[in-house]
Amino acid sequence: MSEAIVVARGVTKAFEAGRHQQVWALRGVDLEVRAGEFLALVGPSGSGKTTLLNLVGALDVPTAGELVVLGQRVAALSRRKRALLRLTSLGFVFQAYNLVPVLTALENVEFVLELQGVSEGRRARARDVLADLGLGALADRRINELSGGQQQRVAVARAVAARPRLVLADEPTANLDGENAETLMHLMRDLRDRHGMTFIFSTHDPRVVSHAVRVVTLVDGRVARDEDKPGEAPHEILAGIGVPVPAQKA
Amino acid sequence: MAWIATRYAARTVGRNLRRTALSVLGIAIGCVLALFMESLNRGRGELFARVGSSSGIGHVRIVPAGWRVRRDQRLRLADWEADAAAARSLPGVAVVTARARAQVLLAVGTHVVPVDVVGVDPAVEARTFRYVQRVQEGRYLRATESGALVVGKTIADRLSAGVDDEVVATAVGSGGDIQSAMFRIVGIVSTGSDDADMSVCQVARGDVERLTGLSGAGEVSLVLDDFRQADAIRLTLAPRLAPGDEALTLPELAPEIQGHFEQDAASARFVSAVILLIVLLGVASAQLAAVLERRREFAVLSAIGMSGARLITLVVQEALMVGAAGALLALALGLPIVWRLARAGLDFRRYLGTSYAFQGVLLDPVIFGDFGMWIVPYVFLVAIGATVGASLYPAWYAARTDPAVALRVAQ
Repeated sequence: MSEAIVVARGVTKAFEAGRHQQVWALRGVDLEVRAGEFLALVGPSGSGKTTLLNLVGALDVPTAGELVVLGQRVAALSRRKRALLRLTSLGFVFQAYNLVPVLTALENVEFVLELQGVSEGRRARARDVLADLGLGALADRRINELSGGQQQRVAVARAVAARPRLVLADEPTANLDGENAETLMHLMRDLRDRHGMTFIFSTHDPRVVSHAVRVVTLVDGRVARDEDKPGEAPHEILAGIGVPVPAQKA
Repeated sequence: MAWIATRYAARTVGRNLRRTALSVLGIAIGCVLALFMESLNRGRGELFARVGSSSGIGHVRIVPAGWRVRRDQRLRLADWEADAAAARSLPGVAVVTARARAQVLLAVGTHVVPVDVVGVDPAVEARTFRYVQRVQEGRYLRATESGALVVGKTIADRLSAGVDDEVVATAVGSGGDIQSAMFRIVGIVSTGSDDADMSVCQVARGDVERLTGLSGAGEVSLVLDDFRQADAIRLTLAPRLAPGDEALTLPELAPEIQGHFEQDAASARFVSAVILLIVLLGVASAQLAAVLERRREFAVLSAIGMSGARLITLVVQEALMVGAAGALLALALGLPIVWRLARAGLDFRRYLGTSYAFQGVLLDPVIFGDFGMWIVPYVFLVAIGATVGASLYPAWYAARTDPAVALRVAQ
């Protein structure tokens, strides 16, 4: 059995919402993620999916409970050490792509390697990653010259260029049409299979859920279900927790 | 090397061209104003030196032992001829002249005026004392003449005397006795300033010796080819002087005038600092607006592992580029202005008249700026310093961006 790279025990997260008011985004989440997993976090809006991803990604710290990511207690890390953890071991894919608009696709990918201090063969490595994701011919294009699907693939390339152990994707297909969503999921699954990276992604999309090897369902900040290779069809899982299944984009 | 980060910074500067252009223009205007003030300040230093060379004070003066403290006009140099010879032998010394001073009472009939009479070498004095070129009536002293007197118009008016009138001069002799001598006014100097005219009362040096009974000279004044060499000349001269005699430079000789110039310079620098502060606040505001607009971008950079220090470096790098562009524009705008200031000067005659005097010394109402190689580093230092200073708070703000909050707000 592979090692646990994320261990959450009673993780709670509260946000201030005005004076003396708190909103509880997570209420005692217990979760263990093992290396090489391809895990989908599903749940209705406000169920705490993004909050949990932010905590696992060391972008934020839990209010209570214990969260250990890659052997490090997130709450005990300083801002600088959390940034270092993200730089060396984590990759992020955002719903809105969030690429640097003034850089080309290649430079966006290369930037992460530069931040890591890679100097030799940096450019070639970035080109290889882009080529791997079918973007070799678009490497020198500015971000605004790429389609949404292409931008999201560049975002994946940026996330995986430094070969992180854990990639976190927050609704990565939300802005993509059906074909692009399928392509992206195949690419991510392929990266996991070839490089042994662990993927955790949040989604509402049944097509995305169908690719997951494990599905964790969050409701009201708690883990409602946690199943490996769930028996139900993805749209049934989503319908079961009250998530309206979106019509497929053409 | 962080090439991508540098490229990112450069392209970000060009992202909002209008804002960048306004920031660059603001920095350039601030720098040009600061440059103008600094050029004038440096020009004032030259003006001070010109005062030294034209008012008879000299750039360097050899004085007797004790003069620095007592400023007593009755003190005489230990060996003025040896001192003068030593001064003449130095390269860079244009004029050397010896003088003897005395406090006297000038009287014509019932009119009496206390003055400082200066015994001079008429042949040399005209080269160091600009006022003698302003003889309004009569003429200046001749080299070999005795008993002749040149006075300023204010003194002549107070004595109700004119050219060819005889004046009785009374002074304290070397033994404390009262000595008198008769002089004939041969020339009246009018500088246009009552203060300056009151300081003009010259006779041949030998006449002062005879009147006071004190032989020799009380000072030897040096005018240099380049006033910047004053300290070096003084150091070279010091060991060659007669025992007890010492050499002083212009700021030590005329501390009140030096103070006047320094006060002017401090005021100008204060104005420059205020101008730069206003520019700095404007640039800081533009930079902060740019950082606030890019909050999500900074959150993403932080999410992919960019540390706070690197985010600060990135914003400061952008500021450096804006500052460098501002410096280049400031040079393009400022060089012709400062060149003109150095050539034509800033003419204050309209406000001060042609004869502006301070402490009895005529000051030139046309102030010339200084134009030199110092301008380039000065402009770059001011522009980049101000811009980087202005970027520190926005940079710190960018580094403090909470990625989780910024991304949540963005979504």
